[in-house]
Amino acid sequence: MAKWGMVIDLEKCTGCQACSTACQMENNRLPGENYQDVLYYTEGKQPTPKLQWFPRPCMQCENPSCMHVCPTKATYKTEDGVVLIDWNKCIGCKYCMIACPYGVRFYTDEKPLVEPNLKEVFKGEGDLSWNPPYKSPQQDNTKGIGIQPNGVVSKCTFCYHKISKAPKGTANLSNDDPALREFVPACVRTCPPTARYFGDLDNPNSEVNRVIAAKKGQRLLEHTGNKPQVYYVTGAGAAGGGSIPGGRSSANKA
Amino acid sequence: MNILKSKVSRRRFLQATGTAGAAGAVGLGGSQLDGFSTLSKAHAQAGGGTTVVNKSICGQCPARCGIDVYTTNGKVHAIYGSNDHPIANGHLCPKGHLGTYILYDPDRFKGPMKRTNPQKGRDQDPKFVPISWDEALATVAGRLNTLREKNESHRFAIFYGRGWGASCAGLQGTFGKLYGSPNVAIGHASICATGSQHAKGATDGNNSYNSYDYRNANYLLMFGCNFLESFRPYNNNLQVWGYIRGEKTPKTRVTAVDIHMNQTLAAADRGLIIKPGTDGALALAIAHVIMTEGLWDKNFVGNFKDGVNQFKTGAVIDDKLFVEKWTKGLIQWWNTEFKDRTPKWAEGVTTISADLIVKTAREFATTKPAIALMERGAHTHSNGILNGMAIHSLNALVGSLFAEGGLGYQQGPSYGKMPVSPDDFMDDYAKSPDRKKPRIDLAGHDDGYAMAGTMIQEAGLNHTAKKPYSLDTAMFYLTNPVMSCPDPKSWEEALKTMYVIDTSPFLGETAWMADLILPDHTYLERLQDAPTYPFQGYPMTQIRTPAVKPVHDTKYYGDVLIEIGKRIKGPTSDYYKQLGNTENVLRALAKGFESDPGDNGVKDFETWKAKGVWFKKPYAYRQIRGEFFKWDKAAQSYSVPMKPEDVKNDLLKTESGKFEFVSSKLAGKKDWILAKIPGRNPEKFNMPHWEEPKYTGGGDLHFITPKVAMHAEGRGSNLPHAIALNQPTVGGKRENLCEVHPKVADAKGIKDGDRIKIKSSAGEIFAIARVTELTRPDTIVLPFGQGRWAMGRWAKGRGASTDSVIVQQSDRISGMANFYSAKVSIEKA
Repeated sequence: MAKWGMVIDLEKCTGCQACSTACQMENNRLPGENYQDVLYYTEGKQPTPKLQWFPRPCMQCENPSCMHVCPTKATYKTEDGVVLIDWNKCIGCKYCMIACPYGVRFYTDEKPLVEPNLKEVFKGEGDLSWNPPYKSPQQDNTKGIGIQPNGVVSKCTFCYHKISKAPKGTANLSNDDPALREFVPACVRTCPPTARYFGDLDNPNSEVNRVIAAKKGQRLLEHTGNKPQVYYVTGAGAAGGGSIPGGRSSANKA
Repeated sequence: MNILKSKVSRRRFLQATGTAGAAGAVGLGGSQLDGFSTLSKAHAQAGGGTTVVNKSICGQCPARCGIDVYTTNGKVHAIYGSNDHPIANGHLCPKGHLGTYILYDPDRFKGPMKRTNPQKGRDQDPKFVPISWDEALATVAGRLNTLREKNESHRFAIFYGRGWGASCAGLQGTFGKLYGSPNVAIGHASICATGSQHAKGATDGNNSYNSYDYRNANYLLMFGCNFLESFRPYNNNLQVWGYIRGEKTPKTRVTAVDIHMNQTLAAADRGLIIKPGTDGALALAIAHVIMTEGLWDKNFVGNFKDGVNQFKTGAVIDDKLFVEKWTKGLIQWWNTEFKDRTPKWAEGVTTISADLIVKTAREFATTKPAIALMERGAHTHSNGILNGMAIHSLNALVGSLFAEGGLGYQQGPSYGKMPVSPDDFMDDYAKSPDRKKPRIDLAGHDDGYAMAGTMIQEAGLNHTAKKPYSLDTAMFYLTNPVMSCPDPKSWEEALKTMYVIDTSPFLGETAWMADLILPDHTYLERLQDAPTYPFQGYPMTQIRTPAVKPVHDTKYYGDVLIEIGKRIKGPTSDYYKQLGNTENVLRALAKGFESDPGDNGVKDFETWKAKGVWFKKPYAYRQIRGEFFKWDKAAQSYSVPMKPEDVKNDLLKTESGKFEFVSSKLAGKKDWILAKIPGRNPEKFNMPHWEEPKYTGGGDLHFITPKVAMHAEGRGSNLPHAIALNQPTVGGKRENLCEVHPKVADAKGIKDGDRIKIKSSAGEIFAIARVTELTRPDTIVLPFGQGRWAMGRWAKGRGASTDSVIVQQSDRISGMANFYSAKVSIEKA
């Protein structure tokens, strides 16, 4: 059984948000409620201000705090290492949203970011929070896949409806392999600068392990003990001190 | 109890657990709480059905990425980049995925309509009523036939923006010829990026955008082209970036120049934040350093006879001492202009430190292959062509024209002949010398913009002033000048006094003023060709195939033209009857592939449709150390030497057959240029030189209105998902925010988040201020594309129409609208 993991190379990431929109369409997300956000930061002053960005999916933790606090065990960890929510069990208490150190969970009572409210324009049938005209054919409430129903929490599933169909023993899921591209998570598949790598963390020969080793992969907020299965690398190959986009040389000051 | 029947809400859960107390907390376990029901199972495992993947081409920017469109049960639900497409390579930019939404936009036009309210204006509901296609087409043809009978066919115009290929915009020229109007058709290049085309035309003779061999370059010097947010082909640029910055050895070095800190500058090795309109001064100083330090490419440019560098700051050189190879006028240019353009001088003009200019110049000239690329930021000014020529001259100085890792020009596809020749269908009316009227935009006319190819921003004004005449009827295809020209009021007024036909699938400002709506398919519904925009030089053409049947009663614009043509009296009608429809056109074009199959096996119409793209690598030409060669297929190398006349015919298409620092093309219009551009230096008018830009609007702050990555040429402004991601760098999620430097904000009492008034002599708009160090203290930044006053429900009334405060002024040579010469003042609203 694979242990799926992702590596994001911040040196290659251009901050374009293609990951966000690919995910939005694949997973029927509402505007602003992105499973895959890119965060932007500004610091410094003219003429050398810094602009930086940081793509942030669910970290699919090995030891997910969201799962531990879930009173109904709606949030669970699959055998192949993905944190999912069973929408049939979720009661929308939001404990998991508080427990998650990465802020990557969403509830359905958010005020619409963009008016008119899509939930009103494309009214959901039954329990579904809305009904996008292009909706993906996948809907599996037991895995938190598809249109988010009202009253439940949702999150990135690593596109579980795709990766779970990958042939057994797959080490790397890359868009470059035509035989495997349908099993690649939407954000990884589309990423134009190929800043994302996806594969089996338990396979020593996988590309994710190669990149983590070669570029000294780091995980976010290690002190929480959550042990993310999403790793970040930088171009300089130096843990902690690497250059990330925006962290360019201060040549202007010279 | 109702609470027990309905789904559990958080509050109810807390209430319940509160009353249940500790027992509840312990007893949650794996089972569900008694009395709580969860989701109904009705939607579990919904969907199913067979998924079809259809090859098409994205339609949201000029890049033309191949897309795989996923359709299940007749509904498009996903779009991904095609793996076997040379631009997309399986990837997409953030816009691409949202195309499904464009297809299903609830605010699309549902079919042809006519206006019933004779009054026109922003506040006048057009009161459109549905009509049949027959009535719609007959209405247009009736008007056109009447004009012809009155000898006034020139009073019919077509304006177009993103023309795709031979089966849409490509049909327009023939229509104009057969029908007899010089105004069929007028493109939008002068509000797009024609400034760079003209800069290249003036220097190397190719009035065109470049193709680029980025992957083999080791240095990129970018002027105002925002490679990672808006430069085409965007998706491929991002792929290039991942490669050259993350994989390639040596890593390609990048210096990017712009007026504020954007994603390109942020990710580059060096970001130079320049005063708007002064890019040419920077390029001249870089050229100066290249010469004085002896770093120019001797193989391409030539050298001093004795091999000793005599370029010294301020020193005049005897041009007999230097032998030029593929360039012309270097010494004259040096002596007349850039011997004095030192980095110190440029620092005073651009605000970029001399030290950084020297470093940039040395890196650029010694890290070869190197490319200097530029777009709107550099040339959308009164001095635009001069800035552009100066920047492009850097490519000549380091020998990157047609070199590996350099620049080239796009080759066209091996299309077959059109099925019917229009020449056989010209009647006496069409052939009459009476048809040689000036165009409504006065492009190509001495009274207007004699050297420009198109002047859409002037056409509205000219119509109203009846200079040279007024239009009777105008049709619009993928352009909306009421929103996209500087001082758009002039177009708004003009549309009130002409019969307007809009072909957009969506409501827009032009449609709001229209008398007739002939809605086009969206791109996912079309069968349409699209030869590549300048990419890597080798020929390529793609085809859209419909992923679904048209959702509404719409008609492909190319077929609308043909159908109108069939209804024009005389032989024109016969021509269009023989042409039949656009599919016939595409089939005829594809015949060309039979004798010249593509690398991917595309050899006819069917294989073209199946693969979505025909292409043939590699680019046919290469300059190697100052010698030109053609590709030898047998030898699989660039080994067929080119004679100077071949170079002149195919590559350096100037009078001299060389790269001209002193332009013969501009020299040919010397009198006109000097008469029409007050203050242009007669000694330097035809060479790259520094001329202060003429800033407009009268304010104290530069007003720069860039394109954002999510901007899909008007087609994206009604997409809620795009709106939410529109301006991520400063958090413009509901509407675009105006970047204001803290010093300016302090001085004017403006706080972050305040509503501000932005004012110029052209008008005023309102925006929310984002106080940030990303922009210069002399510049505010607000992306264009919002402020729609007639559009779908998400676009309408959102943000500000930046063009409303931009004064109408254009580069007299290129015709490029001077969007970025605007100055404004701001105050707290």
